[in-house]
Amino acid sequence: MAKPLIVARDLSIIYNKGKSNEFKALQGVNTDIFEGEYIILFGPSGCGKSTLMYSIQGSLPPGEGTLLIKGDDVYSYPPSERVYFQRHVMGIIFQSFNLIGSLSVLDNVALPMIFCDADRTTRERRAQSLLDRFGVGHVSHKIPAMLSGGQQQRVSVARSMVNDPKILLADEPTGNLDSISTQQVMDKIDEINTFDRRTIIMVSHNAAHLSYAHRVYYLRDGRIVREVVNPQRKQIKPVREGETIVTELEQLARLFPYDSVETLRVKSLVNYLTQDYSFDQIIKLERATSLFIQGKIDRASYIKSLILPTERGGVQIDEKEARRMANISEKMIKNADDIRRFRARKDNNDIFFSQHILAERMQEHLLQTYRIKLDKKQASNMTEVIADRVTGVIEEEELNQRLMKSVRSHGLGLSEKEADDLTRYFEKIIAQGVDVNYKN
Amino acid sequence: MRIQDLAQLSTRMFKTNPLRTWLTILGMGVGTGAVVVLVGLGFGLQQIILEQIVFGETLLSLGVSSTGSQGLRLTPETVLDFEKNEAVLDAAPLARFPALVTYKGLTGNVFVQGVEPPYLRYAGVTAVAGDVFLEEDLGDTNSIMISPATLKLFGIPDEEMDNFIGEKVSIRLLVPADDGTENVNEIVIDKEYRVRGISKEEGVLNIMMMLPELRNYVGIEEYERIQVRVDSNENLPLVETKLIEEGYRVTALSKTVEQASKIFQGIQAVLATFGGIALIVSAIGMFNTMTVTLLERTKEIGIMRTIGASPNDVKYLFVSESVVVGFLGGVSGILMGVTLGVTVNLFLNIVAGQFGGQAVKLFAFPFNFLAFITIFSAAVGYLTGIFPARRASTLNPLDAIRYE
Repeated sequence: MAKPLIVARDLSIIYNKGKSNEFKALQGVNTDIFEGEYIILFGPSGCGKSTLMYSIQGSLPPGEGTLLIKGDDVYSYPPSERVYFQRHVMGIIFQSFNLIGSLSVLDNVALPMIFCDADRTTRERRAQSLLDRFGVGHVSHKIPAMLSGGQQQRVSVARSMVNDPKILLADEPTGNLDSISTQQVMDKIDEINTFDRRTIIMVSHNAAHLSYAHRVYYLRDGRIVREVVNPQRKQIKPVREGETIVTELEQLARLFPYDSVETLRVKSLVNYLTQDYSFDQIIKLERATSLFIQGKIDRASYIKSLILPTERGGVQIDEKEARRMANISEKMIKNADDIRRFRARKDNNDIFFSQHILAERMQEHLLQTYRIKLDKKQASNMTEVIADRVTGVIEEEELNQRLMKSVRSHGLGLSEKEADDLTRYFEKIIAQGVDVNYKN
Repeated sequence: MRIQDLAQLSTRMFKTNPLRTWLTILGMGVGTGAVVVLVGLGFGLQQIILEQIVFGETLLSLGVSSTGSQGLRLTPETVLDFEKNEAVLDAAPLARFPALVTYKGLTGNVFVQGVEPPYLRYAGVTAVAGDVFLEEDLGDTNSIMISPATLKLFGIPDEEMDNFIGEKVSIRLLVPADDGTENVNEIVIDKEYRVRGISKEEGVLNIMMMLPELRNYVGIEEYERIQVRVDSNENLPLVETKLIEEGYRVTALSKTVEQASKIFQGIQAVLATFGGIALIVSAIGMFNTMTVTLLERTKEIGIMRTIGASPNDVKYLFVSESVVVGFLGGVSGILMGVTLGVTVNLFLNIVAGQFGGQAVKLFAFPFNFLAFITIFSAAVGYLTGIFPARRASTLNPLDAIRYE
């Protein structure tokens, strides 16, 4: 069995020990990290994830326990020799980039090599090639302040790789970046893991990144509370048979990263009680529906992707059910369009056009579902109620009440069940059709 | 870290914070400038004095005269006697007679001194105008040197000293009679002597001529004074002691010089103290700046430490930065000080030229002194840098990187 690259045993770090503000940053942490692994340390602020990372980095001596890197107890060396690890074993990326403002981008990247006595030509060639690789070669002679955040972070990735370290440490590398830059930086780090075969240890509290990792350590209050293996990646850490098995909880953990194991277990059970479909099917159904709502696929392909077996990326439901779903979705999308049109008219003070169409469609729905035929008075009241709800005069609760009220007091006189159902259905349509984007 | 990289990294402050860096250097510069000017003044004063009195051979000779009490007389035999001493290279006598000197009808009382050229060297006699007697002038029978006081006797002001060279005077020697009486024989030298030079001896009415020429008119049995040239500095006190034991009165110029030097060393020390205070003030200012720089760079130190700088790398960075500032402070101080000194010298020379005085260099800056100041200021830089540097190197990188 391969030996782990990093071994922590009962690692504890206590700040201000013995003082009134004593703080246990890490308590009895055990971990094995293998060469080539992509590890994410995940958890809320103050959970000890950065503490663990900086302890591995060599800047935070453990109070108790042992920490071995490549079999070496780093902290048994004096600071002048510990530097060897920081030079040749580890590269580091920070949230706030931490480039040195008075040096050019090229010199920033070459700086770790300066400390290793590399000559100018060698280090500048190496730095430039890395900058080129990470797409910031053209700004190598600018100073960092002239670069965008994403560029700066890519420069800092280049810097971390300049001495060709075995381990790349990243402290929330995308915390200060916009979504596009985040994607770029995450892709580069992923590339370093998969292509360069470097071990990555990343501190993050962004759940969207968890799918990159081989394993995720969840930390809370200075302890590792959970280790989640990513089933989508081929594991490097040798797993003894039966010791740990991949369960639905792992999958749920990625969907609900902030929930505790207990909550996830509850979710798993409730899902079984209320849904006929597994989480996997739901995720795929979501994906197909998303494409259908956006209009990227037509009705036929939507149905097809619902029928397709899960191994081939489908939801694996029978054709009749698929058609029913497609019908509902289609109708809802159409109604949503009405709502959209209606609200657009509302802005032009011409609200009477689609009000009736909407109301008619609702009547149709009632007819189809409950076989309720509205009389003229009811239909007129319905038109009014819908207009009030769509224009925002009344809320969901009031809509529900109005549906149950007698016809004389401007209601529809529906039974409670009918009213609830219609309310639910109508709210779904509104959710689809109302533009929630912020407008000035 | 390689030296050239260290140099590059530690001179970044000229780019990042030029104003503060140059002000710090200027602060150090003013401090060292003060030292340079004041000590330079000390050197200048010392040099002025020594230039007047010191010649190599003068320092190695002793002036011997009889005390008169023990009946010791300085005779030609005494001269030979002195020369027998192995430590004595030469002995040059001086004979003196009262005389009357006449210039253009004016007559005054003076002393005529008969000497040989070596005596002038040993006694450190120099000329303020005209020429002094040289070795080859031993046989000279036509020219004399006179003292400035003699010039006054003729009513010649100092400014016209140079014009007096080449003038003719006549001399009548007043020689005591051999008959034991108080009578004085007047010997008229029946020719005129050309004034070849004016000596520097202040306050005495002297005329100097060559001893052989004097002998032509008067028999010399007793000398006034003998200058004994000793071979080396080590033997000087030995010979001196021996002569004193024999009952002679001995004066050594070297002693005077020594005392003068001591006085000027004292003056220099006082001046250097004042300069030193200025230097200490600027060093404290620089120390303060270095400490502030450290605080400002705390984050940078943290970054460097986490990406592979050793504690020593950080220390060297800080130390070399302050050494550079100290060194440049020293250089700029030297530039300022020397410029000031040279300007004052020039100004004084112009003034002296205007008023007909003698040009002097009030400020002097020996090369060794300037080299010392350069090294010293770099050392001051090192000292002001070493404590912040040590602190920087012991900072915890993690605390440092989180410092804002």
